[in-house]
Amino acid sequence: MRASLFITCYNDTLYPETGQAVVTLLERLGVEVEFRPAQTCCGQMHANTGFRSEAYSQAKRFVRMYQDAETVVIPSSSCVAMIRDQYPGLFEELGNEELRREFASFLPRVYELSEFLVDKLGVEDVGAYFPHRVTYHASCHGLRALHLGERPFKLLANVRGLELVPLENLDRCCGFGGTFSVKNAEVSSAMLSAKLIDVLTTRAEYCTALDNSCLMHIGGALHRQFAAMRTLHMAQILASTEATPMEATL
Amino acid sequence: MNHPVVERHPILDPEKAAPFPAAAFQILRNTQLRKNVAHATDVIQEKRDRLVAEKADWQELRSAGSALRMHLLENLGHYLEQFEERCTATGGVVHWAKDAAEARAIILEILRQEHATEVIKIKTMTSAEIQLNPAIEAAGMKAFETDLAEIILQLGEDEPSHIVVPALHVNRTQVREIFARRMNRPELTDDPKELTGAARTFLREKFLRVPTAISGANFLVAETGSVVIVESEGNGRMCLTLPRTMITLAGIEKVVPRFQDLEIMLQVLARSATGERMNPYSSLWTGVTPGDGPQRFHVVLLDNGRSDILARGRERQTLKCIRCGACQNTCPVYRQTGGHAYGSVYGGPIGAILTPQLMHLEHAQTLPYASSLCGACYDVCPVKINIPEVLIDLRAKVTDKEREEERRFFDPMYLGMIIANFFFASAARFRFAQKMGRLGLRLFTRKDGWIHYLPSIGARWTMTRDLRGLPDQTFREWWAGRNAGRGKEGR
Amino acid sequence: MSSSIGSREAILGKIRHATGNGAADIAGSYAALERKYVRAGGLAVEERLALMVERLREYDAEVLEASPDSLPDAIRAMLDASGRRVFVAPAGLPAEWLVEGFDWKIDHELTTSEIEKTDGVVTASFCGIADSGTIVLHHSAAEGRRVISLLPDWHLCVLKASDVVETLPEYFARCAEPPELATYISGPSATADIEMTRIKGVHGPRFLNVIVVRDEAT
Repeated sequence: MRASLFITCYNDTLYPETGQAVVTLLERLGVEVEFRPAQTCCGQMHANTGFRSEAYSQAKRFVRMYQDAETVVIPSSSCVAMIRDQYPGLFEELGNEELRREFASFLPRVYELSEFLVDKLGVEDVGAYFPHRVTYHASCHGLRALHLGERPFKLLANVRGLELVPLENLDRCCGFGGTFSVKNAEVSSAMLSAKLIDVLTTRAEYCTALDNSCLMHIGGALHRQFAAMRTLHMAQILASTEATPMEATL
Repeated sequence: MNHPVVERHPILDPEKAAPFPAAAFQILRNTQLRKNVAHATDVIQEKRDRLVAEKADWQELRSAGSALRMHLLENLGHYLEQFEERCTATGGVVHWAKDAAEARAIILEILRQEHATEVIKIKTMTSAEIQLNPAIEAAGMKAFETDLAEIILQLGEDEPSHIVVPALHVNRTQVREIFARRMNRPELTDDPKELTGAARTFLREKFLRVPTAISGANFLVAETGSVVIVESEGNGRMCLTLPRTMITLAGIEKVVPRFQDLEIMLQVLARSATGERMNPYSSLWTGVTPGDGPQRFHVVLLDNGRSDILARGRERQTLKCIRCGACQNTCPVYRQTGGHAYGSVYGGPIGAILTPQLMHLEHAQTLPYASSLCGACYDVCPVKINIPEVLIDLRAKVTDKEREEERRFFDPMYLGMIIANFFFASAARFRFAQKMGRLGLRLFTRKDGWIHYLPSIGARWTMTRDLRGLPDQTFREWWAGRNAGRGKEGR
Repeated sequence: MSSSIGSREAILGKIRHATGNGAADIAGSYAALERKYVRAGGLAVEERLALMVERLREYDAEVLEASPDSLPDAIRAMLDASGRRVFVAPAGLPAEWLVEGFDWKIDHELTTSEIEKTDGVVTASFCGIADSGTIVLHHSAAEGRRVISLLPDWHLCVLKASDVVETLPEYFARCAEPPELATYISGPSATADIEMTRIKGVHGPRFLNVIVVRDEAT
């Protein structure tokens, strides 16, 4: 099984350790990982901010690049949602027949990380060890756009030593929302303060999610407040074993 | 970035209202309001969720409701003409208003012909949309709201902040103060039961005396020419039964094809709006019934931008809305700000898409951005309006307008997006940008490897959040190094 | 109003421009609309009636059951228990329901102030919907004009068991044709406008009483 990793523009730049964890994890599960260095961005930021033609040019580049990939794995549910929910409209309006065909054949081969593990590899126990108290935040795109459902919970349930503490108001948005976090910084921060109440109440050591975007936002506030909690992407928990324990560098 | 100061009682006029970020900035400091909004929306949501969970065919109802409303919109002209024909045949008079000004003029003319000095009103967002009350007052007549929340707002000289529970931002002490002062009842306590009783007494004499009423409509039934009003308090029943003349103002999208279609709409409306299987009172009437209810009946059909929305492919679904307010109750943005921040009669998620469109995108341009695109609204919408999809589309339209304006060169956000797109266009450019970024941000990175302050747009992040400094090695650099070490090339 | 007529054409013109001329076969596309929701309930008669009564009692309505023969007695019992004397009755209310010992005002065009002076009202009903505890009035002769079941503070409604359905779609199925007037009552009036505190009885009768008549072989 070969998987082509789309690391995402922000993970590549800000959270390379998440990508490293994905590679470690997938190789441990017998997947041959490749990385196409031509990759940059899926176009989500531009699409969601109203820069449609710019988003289209990035989308076109993305689809062309992965035409012959066996599978594409993306450790970011919002990017996968962009591809599934918005690429069709972009290619419909701005693209051509050939591009639409390419996209249609390409789409079933795109997976968010937990989807890849549970659906494609059929694995719920990845052999991980992470002896810490952890709470899980359900990113909105993963929850509502991708309907990830039980997948992350099943994966976490099988991590040895991990104590999963449920998060109150699990499905309430953390307030990141991409450029919303900056264009509406005050409201974004108000939403964040509400999310922090629920997160800190768990008294977990780590808050995890399948999207570093949410974690950048939550973790940024935790750090600002010298809170006794850190964030880390679930890939890093799943990559952690007795032999190679992962600690958050956040 | 400094926000302009917002007036104490925000005008819900999209042409004059402050941009959403500025309005929200001030409102967020009102912790009383935020507590009220959170409490009210929690209560309704909890009730709604319980009833939806018990309704085995909830998703089927949503699908049917969505399909029905879409069918209605696709054939709107036909159904409006059918409604007009039936309503006229049963004794009603149908008027058509292309915009707010014309609607006001039509209504004022009817009132003049009636020699009306006073009007009692059933709560209707549409009359607030066309700013009817000030026009009535300016014409020398008095308009009395009869819905409890609307009286609280009218007497308190305030504005609605929620579609279904318009005074949810007002607490009992504030209500007590308003009633004591304006109803001349200084002895009133802040007990909600007593306050409600005071409103009942205050209104009773008006119901029995005032001969002219104005209502909105929850639904207009094309098949029969009937009007449906859904309520909780009974003030609607009073206004639609006792007066001599009734004027119903309704947006053109309020039509449903047939009487039977109410079996879907009524099931989803009450559950979504107030968390009840059915609201206490729903009323249906058709034209004029001799001996029963108003003997003079007018319907004012309002366009005011709706036909423009109808013309737009992805935006047409905005008109499916049945004004249940469920989107507001679930919205995490609305939860923090309440309705006034949206600077419009329609706030929350539906307001963020409806208001800019009614304004032809000339005003309320910040509203499509007043959302984190979490999608909770779409999940609860009983007629499946894909609000996030419309928000994104409106953002594209707002941006397209900006592309033609000089000011874009001074907008750091705009420039930032153009520059980012340039760097995303090739891997070489992207790697360059990563290196430059890493270098530049080193200036702001503290000893613990974190950034505590950034200038310009960055300051909007760092005002409440730290940012981890860019690592010394990007993922792709690590990968390249690993493969070089292994003597293997990644593709 | 000529400007209104001009606007009519303008609005319909814009709509037509936006939608084309609509579906070629509107009736056909309406008929083809998907309706996979529940069209009829699955409860047996006894369960259905029990549900109706349960919902009514959740609304703090007083509910009595009676047979067709004992109905007048049940009416008397409820009127007695109310402590009230003066009652409005629709002109078409069955004569045997106008039990002795009370001051009946038959609605032959009563004025509003005459109705205001009464203590309560007795009416028949069109149907009951068990799922939501809804009483439906179509304001027939035995149900009366809308004003008489609105102004008095106390309302006794007679509901036949054979008129109780489980779901809202079943009510619509019962309507041979749409009613000209209808009032749907699901509990006393209420508001939650002040701090979401539910207060019952704002306008409209604060006291709802229902007699379920066990007619048919139930």
